[in-house]
Amino acid sequence: MHFVTGGAFNGKSNWVKDFYQLEDTPHLWISAYRGAELPAGIVEWEKKDVVVLEGMELWLKSMAGTSLDVREQWQTFLQAWKSWERGAEGRMLILIGSDITKGIVPIDAEERKWRDAAGWAFQDTAAAADQVDLVWYGIRQKLK
Amino acid sequence: MAEPSTFIFISGGVRSGKSTFAEELAAEVAQQSGSQLHYIAAGQANDPEMKERIEKHKKDRLKSGLKWRTWEQPRNLAEIASSFSAKDVVLFDCLTTLVNNELFQAGEQWEDPRFQRCMIESISEGIRQIKGRCQTLIVVSNEVLNEPIGSSELVFTYSKLMGVLHQEMAREANQAFLVEAGIPAAMKGGEKS
Repeated sequence: MHFVTGGAFNGKSNWVKDFYQLEDTPHLWISAYRGAELPAGIVEWEKKDVVVLEGMELWLKSMAGTSLDVREQWQTFLQAWKSWERGAEGRMLILIGSDITKGIVPIDAEERKWRDAAGWAFQDTAAAADQVDLVWYGIRQKLK
Repeated sequence: MAEPSTFIFISGGVRSGKSTFAEELAAEVAQQSGSQLHYIAAGQANDPEMKERIEKHKKDRLKSGLKWRTWEQPRNLAEIASSFSAKDVVLFDCLTTLVNNELFQAGEQWEDPRFQRCMIESISEGIRQIKGRCQTLIVVSNEVLNEPIGSSELVFTYSKLMGVLHQEMAREANQAFLVEAGIPAAMKGGEKS
């Protein structure tokens, strides 16, 4: 599992496409920015070995808008994704998330909840990932 | 000593010490090479707080005992490019303010993707021209992309444009620094000078 983070519009997705040469690699790209729901099941991935989930922060926003314990829920996803990876040689999940945590603390309680959820989920994702990179305007800094 | 036509990109949060670091770096390069220091300010004194801010920066540069030549250029960087030569170290502060100024004078036009592309191209061109003429160009900018962008179309556009420009700066730069709490982290190009 590879976690790629950094600020918005910092070139994270392009970096991932270059790094994994996705132009020439069969893969599945699921993007929250294009309105995709967070895939609850991973059955549909089985034909692809490389799966990219882009826009973690948006999925976390909709999760934070429910009464669910977001952190617990996210942990369940992480475990499911890790066991999918272990299911076959060469499987790789790449998670891309924009950092939304460095602004002023929002007045709105919902916004605060989202920000907290994102912070926790990013930490847990980094802990679960084999590799973590920070992309700063296209420049990669290896964190793990 | 820095090579001719070195381009350095420095970014950081508000009050991170990015300007101070940029000024020190510029002074160091200028001293080593006996070059003239230039300061291009994009900030406009539209209110008392801004005026105070600009005055403080000016005083700080005076106190440093170095001879800075200040240019106030809220828009259209290319206009002053021909004023510089190979014996000049130029510090431009800052890119976010310049983009603000260019966007705000545009009226309704900002929504037009063609206008946005032209604006980015003209800013890049201005920077390229100055870089091409002087010995060292240092461009300072702000970290503004680490919080939710929200639903405002204007903020979304502004963020996207800043991201595009910053990526271009980082790509073109010989050295790029992210300043956190006064400490510059070299993201590209290794050592400080």
